[in-house]
Amino acid sequence: MTWLRSASDTPTPFEGVLGLRPELLAAYRDFYGRLWDDRLVAPRLLELCRLRVALLHDCQAELAVRHETAGVAAEEVAALEQWQRNDCFTPVERAALAIADKMPWRQHEISDVEVAALRRHLPEAEAVALVLAIGLFDSHCRLRTVLGIEPRRQTVAAPASKRGRLY
Amino acid sequence: MSTTPRFTSAVTDQPPDFSTVLQHQPALLAAFWRLYGIFWSQGALDHRAKEVARIRNARVTNCGF
Repeated sequence: MTWLRSASDTPTPFEGVLGLRPELLAAYRDFYGRLWDDRLVAPRLLELCRLRVALLHDCQAELAVRHETAGVAAEEVAALEQWQRNDCFTPVERAALAIADKMPWRQHEISDVEVAALRRHLPEAEAVALVLAIGLFDSHCRLRTVLGIEPRRQTVAAPASKRGRLY
Repeated sequence: MSTTPRFTSAVTDQPPDFSTVLQHQPALLAAFWRLYGIFWSQGALDHRAKEVARIRNARVTNCGF
């Protein structure tokens, strides 16, 4: 339960909190929603990184949200715990997850080799968007934790949308 | 702490930095600046408090930028 006195949990717990500052909610939704709406990065790649970062943060509120069309199966979500030992992830996904693994607490350990591996697989614009997205996932989990956003298990069209919901 | 750019600049004849790298996604960058602008221009905290928090965060995360 959030410690904020006047927050609600509708239409989503996150919007109920951020909605206390409507101009902030609108701008945040526009920024974060673009990642999902505008297909700047393949949805499956975003979703894998989002969930991996959420696992690292043990952020139940973020883990409770699932992207229904990202193409990540339940067994693959389970495999994210030990993704290095599972062969269900493609080379580009492994390159992305290597960076996602270090973004929350070991960002200075992200190596030139790891970034180069990502850039070999993706066009520059998509790689830039993905790295930015991973940073957003990290900050999103931190916000959820500090603001006390309640988990609400749901499968959604996208975790965020410019003109839709922010989960 | 690394401050060596790992991505190219999207702006001809401009070196890679935060803005020129994110220019690979211009609409996303514009949305970021709108959000960041709200952080600084609105809210209950004064600029000094925000600046103190920003610099403290930079030191904790060892962010040279």
